[in-house]
Amino acid sequence: MVLALVEEPSLAIRDFFFPRVTPRFLIRASAVGLSAYLFFGHVFTPFLIKGQSMEPTHRDRSFNFCWRLKYLLTEPARHDVVTVRFAGSSVMLLKRIVALEGEKIEFRNGRLLVDDQEIEEPYVRNPCNWNLPPRIVERGCVYLVGDNRTMPIENHFLGQASLKRIIGAPLW
Amino acid sequence: MVKIRYIAAAVLLLLAIWAVIQLFPGEEKRVKKQFHLMAKWVSKEHGEHTVTMAYKTKSMESLFYPKCEVNLPPYSFSGLFTPEELAGYASQGRLYFDDLQLRFYDLAVAFRDRGTAEVNFTAKLTGKTKNGELVDETHELVCLLHKTEKGWLFGKIEVVEVLKR
Repeated sequence: MVLALVEEPSLAIRDFFFPRVTPRFLIRASAVGLSAYLFFGHVFTPFLIKGQSMEPTHRDRSFNFCWRLKYLLTEPARHDVVTVRFAGSSVMLLKRIVALEGEKIEFRNGRLLVDDQEIEEPYVRNPCNWNLPPRIVERGCVYLVGDNRTMPIENHFLGQASLKRIIGAPLW
Repeated sequence: MVKIRYIAAAVLLLLAIWAVIQLFPGEEKRVKKQFHLMAKWVSKEHGEHTVTMAYKTKSMESLFYPKCEVNLPPYSFSGLFTPEELAGYASQGRLYFDDLQLRFYDLAVAFRDRGTAEVNFTAKLTGKTKNGELVDETHELVCLLHKTEKGWLFGKIEVVEVLKR
């Protein structure tokens, strides 16, 4: 006589939702928890965009992940969108790099000039009339601006930040 | 059955450790508690009662050192102030708001010596003015707190410039 050991469906469902607490189960659950913590805490950090300074590239209230290993082997480049930390990574800024260290940056009638050369910015959809006197980006810093230039420059959070503050880039 | 007993013992041990930590908070936790109180007393709900407002203003005074140095360039507010002056300015500022929430994130506490703590953190202020204007401001700050008989008191508050124009 052959006995087929088939679990009842209801028993399988019960075991799935209320598994028996065995050492093997605890090890498995800890491994899953630790992997999720490392992955979502240090590799792909989920974040919610609040604010309109990066529109239309990144919409207000949209969801994204911060790819934190992006600059592990490469340096941030012009036109990269990056996440910039404050005291930690709970609250971050999302901005675009428009100038690198040692470069001279200015805005003249809404046009971005780097080292006196006009820079094409296809990501800026609405024209603006921003004016910002020329300044040199300090060593170890990059100049960051949002894509949305519809507000007066005084109300826009822009400026140079240390490269050490850049913790990654949005995944999409 | 024996294994289950070990697991239960481990869980109980963890609970006991957690209870001891909660009952006897370290200095870091005491410092962080001051920030929790600051956030609670600065924040304002829609239709706040005058009595609540007076209570919060009075409570705020107890958070500051007799002479507190403040350096907040984004608000053009700097100088050396008494707790009464600071609580007064804070309550004046609160009057402009219909509702206001102050939240602190990423508090990193470092003890310079036994009596001084330096805290680096992010502060987020959101709310709505009485004119209906929405406010959403985020800044990185550094504070110095001094240990006194009354607990840890704010002795210096300074904004850290994240983006330099």
